[in-house]
Amino acid sequence: MTAPSCPRLFEVEAMRDGRLTGAERATFERHVTGCAACSREVQTLEALAEPLRAEPEDGAIVDEFHVRRERTRLLAAFEQALVSSKRSPNARRHWLWVASVATIAAGLLILRHERPAAQPGHWPRAVVRADSRAVWSERTEGDRERIVLERGTLWIQVDHSSGEGRLVIALPDGELEDIGTIFTVSVEDGHTGRVAVKKGHVVLRMHDRPPVAIGPGDTWVPEAVSAFASAAPTAEPAPNGLHAPSVGSASALPSPAPAPTLVAPDPLVDFRAAMAALDVGDNRQAATAFASFLEKHPRAPRAEDAAYLRVIALQKSGDSDATKEAASDYLRRYPKGFRHSEVERLSP
Amino acid sequence: MIARRERSRTATRNVPRASDPEIMGRLGNGETGALGELYDRYQAPIRRFIARATSDAEDVDDLVHATFLAAAESAGRYDGRPSCRPWLIGIAAQLLRRRRQSFGRFLAVLASVRSIRATTVDPRPALHARSDVERALVQISDAKRIPFLMAEVEGLSCAEIATALNVPVGTVWTRLHAARRDLRRALEEGEDS
Repeated sequence: MTAPSCPRLFEVEAMRDGRLTGAERATFERHVTGCAACSREVQTLEALAEPLRAEPEDGAIVDEFHVRRERTRLLAAFEQALVSSKRSPNARRHWLWVASVATIAAGLLILRHERPAAQPGHWPRAVVRADSRAVWSERTEGDRERIVLERGTLWIQVDHSSGEGRLVIALPDGELEDIGTIFTVSVEDGHTGRVAVKKGHVVLRMHDRPPVAIGPGDTWVPEAVSAFASAAPTAEPAPNGLHAPSVGSASALPSPAPAPTLVAPDPLVDFRAAMAALDVGDNRQAATAFASFLEKHPRAPRAEDAAYLRVIALQKSGDSDATKEAASDYLRRYPKGFRHSEVERLSP
Repeated sequence: MIARRERSRTATRNVPRASDPEIMGRLGNGETGALGELYDRYQAPIRRFIARATSDAEDVDDLVHATFLAAAESAGRYDGRPSCRPWLIGIAAQLLRRRRQSFGRFLAVLASVRSIRATTVDPRPALHARSDVERALVQISDAKRIPFLMAEVEGLSCAEIATALNVPVGTVWTRLHAARRDLRRALEEGEDS
């Protein structure tokens, strides 16, 4: 039984094949820069086909005379087929078949042409309320919306259903990445004073400290970095402190925002939340979150990844019975899954 | 001899190189010479792709021809992309997929000019001698090998590959994963032996 050196190793291939996009890709790319195992895997996959990508001398494949003979044969076939197609229905049918192949190929070109690059305005939409003392600003950096909070308290609600970009809050002593929906963050005297999450998850990265995933109902305060307080999040800032209420859209709310409406469950947000728990080593919570993801989004594109990561999270937690049960569940759901052979070794 | 070759190179440099869209435009108007230029430009990579992708070397030349003839037929619909190599690869992959069903019919067109055909040169031995990866590549199935070549060598996206092979994109992901796993295993076994 060989455990992978990093639970996110499988994402290297997902990134290479375009299965990770937007914020997920950006987050994983940042992870790769600090993870030796994933970095090594990136290099290994890149090197795998490197000899095939090198253009050899033509002579190494086929001799020049053969190429010339084949060229002559091709042009003769082309001219003959053109002439025949004008007088022979059978030959026309041959060309119809060729044309059908070519039409599909043309479709390929269109598909390639329309593949979107990073699209401006494709960020998650956020509503920000600030208290009267807050000093903050916001700007866009690529696919990332960045809010810089120097002082005061912000109440933020993010709707990830409107985009895949990232929302990061820069703090004097760290940064906070939103992977959830509703939270409050306070800064006093150049230090982060409080982060309270009402719904969803955020990841807090303080300088020189491991990242912390903060879930719904949890409150982080600096005196208790390793233990969350169970107090409810603070009330949102007073209406008279309403300030620049919209990020990612140009419209400003003329009056205090109404009570936030909850958005429908978003598979991406739920998956990120589970990943955040796994990232910070809360394997029990991660396993529970992945199980919840599978229950809520059994047909989501990341469902198989979630089933696999649930096995890994349970294995890391040391619960062998639960690991075997989760492995059996994975094999039952995905008998031809990506990680079949790895998971099979963990099943009863 | 050397001087003559040098002159020839100089002359070639002085002739502006036509772009792929220009060639496709002329080909769409039925210019046979344009097909010759397209062939000169891309026959090597297309032949290499087909030779690597197929386990049957007998068909390589005919598949190369079929690819260029299909390209000629659809030249009028070319969208102006600077390089038509990915497009040609997509056509070749289509032909590989369908050759068992339909290639026999298409061979009739080529058979009509077979009298001027010389003996086929099998490019595979030269290919096999080139690298460990290529030796490992022949050990995996066509179903895995073709998407692997399209993605890792030709740079097509998984969505493009799925369209060309007429399979769901999830199938492409699965086949790519299996191809990489099998290749790595074959390479490791090669190192051990």
